[in-house]
Amino acid sequence: MSTLSFTHPTSWRCAACNQDLQPQKVAVTYLHSVFHVELMACSQCGFVLVPEDLAIGKMLEVEQLLEDK
Amino acid sequence: MDQQALRALEACCVQEEPPFCSAACPLRVDVRAFMAALTKGDTRSARRVLDRHMPFPAIVGRLCEAPCQAACKRIEVDSTLAIGLLERYCVAATEQVLKPPKMPAKGGRVAVAGGGLFGMTAALDLARKGREVHLFTPAKELGGTLEEKFRSHLPDDAFIQAASTLSGYGAHLHFQVRLDADALKAFAQDYEALCLDGNEIDMAGLPFAASTPDPVTLAVNDVGCFGGGAPNGPDFQVIRQVADGRRAALSVERFLQKVSLTAEREREGSISTRLFTSIEQVQPQAAILPASGAEYNSTEARAEASRCIQCECLECVKQCAFLQEFKEYPKTLVRRVYNNLSIVQGTRSANTMINSCSLCSQCTIICPHDFPMAALCRDARERMVQTEHMPPSAHDFALEEMRFTLGDACSLARHQPGMDASRYLFFPGCQLAGSAPEQVSATYQFLMDQLQGGVGLLLSCCGIPAQWAGDEALFQETLASLQATLDAFGKPELICACTSCLALVRKHLPAYASTSLWEILAALEHLPPECRTPTQPLALHDPCGARDNAGLRASVRQLCGRLGVQLHDTTMPEELADCCGYGGLMQFANQPLGRKAATVKAGRSEYPALAYCAMCRDNVAGAGKASAHLLEYLFPGKAGDDPLERANPGFSLRHENRSRLKEQLMHSLWQETAGDAPAHSALRLIIAPDLTSLLESRHILHEDVQKVIFHAEQGGNYLLNPENGHRLAKYKPVRVTYWVEYEATDNGFIVHNSYSHRMVLPEALP
Repeated sequence: MSTLSFTHPTSWRCAACNQDLQPQKVAVTYLHSVFHVELMACSQCGFVLVPEDLAIGKMLEVEQLLEDK
Repeated sequence: MDQQALRALEACCVQEEPPFCSAACPLRVDVRAFMAALTKGDTRSARRVLDRHMPFPAIVGRLCEAPCQAACKRIEVDSTLAIGLLERYCVAATEQVLKPPKMPAKGGRVAVAGGGLFGMTAALDLARKGREVHLFTPAKELGGTLEEKFRSHLPDDAFIQAASTLSGYGAHLHFQVRLDADALKAFAQDYEALCLDGNEIDMAGLPFAASTPDPVTLAVNDVGCFGGGAPNGPDFQVIRQVADGRRAALSVERFLQKVSLTAEREREGSISTRLFTSIEQVQPQAAILPASGAEYNSTEARAEASRCIQCECLECVKQCAFLQEFKEYPKTLVRRVYNNLSIVQGTRSANTMINSCSLCSQCTIICPHDFPMAALCRDARERMVQTEHMPPSAHDFALEEMRFTLGDACSLARHQPGMDASRYLFFPGCQLAGSAPEQVSATYQFLMDQLQGGVGLLLSCCGIPAQWAGDEALFQETLASLQATLDAFGKPELICACTSCLALVRKHLPAYASTSLWEILAALEHLPPECRTPTQPLALHDPCGARDNAGLRASVRQLCGRLGVQLHDTTMPEELADCCGYGGLMQFANQPLGRKAATVKAGRSEYPALAYCAMCRDNVAGAGKASAHLLEYLFPGKAGDDPLERANPGFSLRHENRSRLKEQLMHSLWQETAGDAPAHSALRLIIAPDLTSLLESRHILHEDVQKVIFHAEQGGNYLLNPENGHRLAKYKPVRVTYWVEYEATDNGFIVHNSYSHRMVLPEALP
């Protein structure tokens, strides 16, 4: 399965680990569906960043599509 | 919902019933479409309508007696449309536009004896159906014995053209044939079916066994002989000849197909229609008479056609923001709901529509046939929940709020301080407690002062959000808890401030006494001493929850009268009231539509609004209309602010007000302290006003923001932007993951942004 990437350089750093965020493959789920996507995350603790434009954009769109399935 | 229930619901809506003119027309000419085209000056499209429905429009269009005119709705306003004259204008101004198709030849030899309009029509319809038709007439041309008074209206070659039309469809025309007994006997023997045109044949002297034509089938015997049409005389009507010809052709067709001649023929000929059309807004407009005295010119025709009011019902749609939004009327909507529920795999495209109805039943009151829209949509939601197809985002926020109200933070049930029994139990409802907590306290104090036997207090929720959401299990659980409280309090009379709570309790707990706060207050001798008369005229906005409670609405008006309010009704008063957008959780499932509904309600009067439902008050205020709750005049706040200037408190403030009210009342009335507040609630937030409205629209409560920051700060798990020192954290209390961008300062946390998503990240999985 191909992995959709939503990574881009970000100023956010992980405060706990004092690390920059790196592109990372993660599996996000909703209503029994799993999506493999690439998001920016802390390479040490795995804290995943979901930026606002993704949350209220593509992610919301997919959520609504799944809700009507 | 099964097919039968679907049909019954569909039949409830009359929007697709034929208009009065078309129902009266035995040919079912679509007069409405004809008039619409003529109004636009599109004579060709008008002609297309005639070509589609009318045999030989060049003849019938000129001669029809227009029984439609007597049925025209316009007669109730001024005078009927000149439909007949307009048809004459149209056929004179145009050539044939549409040629109805001929079906492939399929055998079946039919003789038509007589060339009058009956025989011509029967021959034409049968030829179009692919039958082998032979028409016999003693005359040299078609038209039968049509009298000169009719013929004088026709072009000289009208019947030659008609013959050419018939031949074009493959009909065989035999002129100058003697239709004597031998000929008729031969037809009966040689053809599979026979049509007899009474205009040229003596139906009383047929050379074989025959009765008078059956009124439904026009059969004169059961071996395929049909008769209609009439000799010249006072009863002769052109439209009757044509209608009978069409009826006979259908009978012949059925006879040849060996199917029932009589089944489902009730809707043939002139029929009655169930269509409802309001003429309330129709302005009188004088009929246009042809200046020439005889025929219209194009300007006159267009002007006269424009008097057509395009009869339809749509009474509910005219008022309902929901039906307008989805461009449906009940009949089409019920079909979409049915289809949505029937989907096994694929996209349920009507989910949002089903969840957008306010369930307010305004349409049902307006509908001439009481279409049960609320039951339809609510039952559909229940089905969606049962089958796990309810989109979680539709009602999650409202149901979480309901759980919060029912939980320890907000709920409270106590006898009156110092008493151990309650004759009454005051139930302000969740939204009033959230919107106007000060008035709840004052009202409760007043009730305790005025009523004997003890007035207990119940801060809780009636469960209606769960019922609206179709979550029957949660609703029943909430209802059972309410019932248990009523039992524990010795079945006191429940005094509901909220009209929706009252309606719900009366419907679902009918054995328990319940009344409205308004009826209680109206029955008291005195108004509260601190009450204040509004200084300006106000429009009373009834809530949808009071639709079925005329007594309650009268009590409110009585109170307003005693208070000296200069009261006006809205344009949709009393049982016609709109929902403000809260009903049915419309504003949660469809936020933009909720706003529209509030704006519609706010716009029903030019005066500032006076409401007696807390959500109406807040939503109308949210729509930008000055709006006050009646309790704010009966029990003015201590600060003395003008209630009309109070903004919509929004979800967050209502949420906080509910828990604060419990805390305050426990302290002031029962000298108790509420349980410990959750640790996150101590966090001080600094939120800019424009961000507050963004959070409202994103359904993010201040408490959600507090939870995110609290958890982030406690564990040190957040992202940091070294450029501006902002922190970004996330937290998933139940199903939704909230993100907050904030800044820690000595005065508290400055909130810069917040958003949420429902997708679950790996680290949030259990």
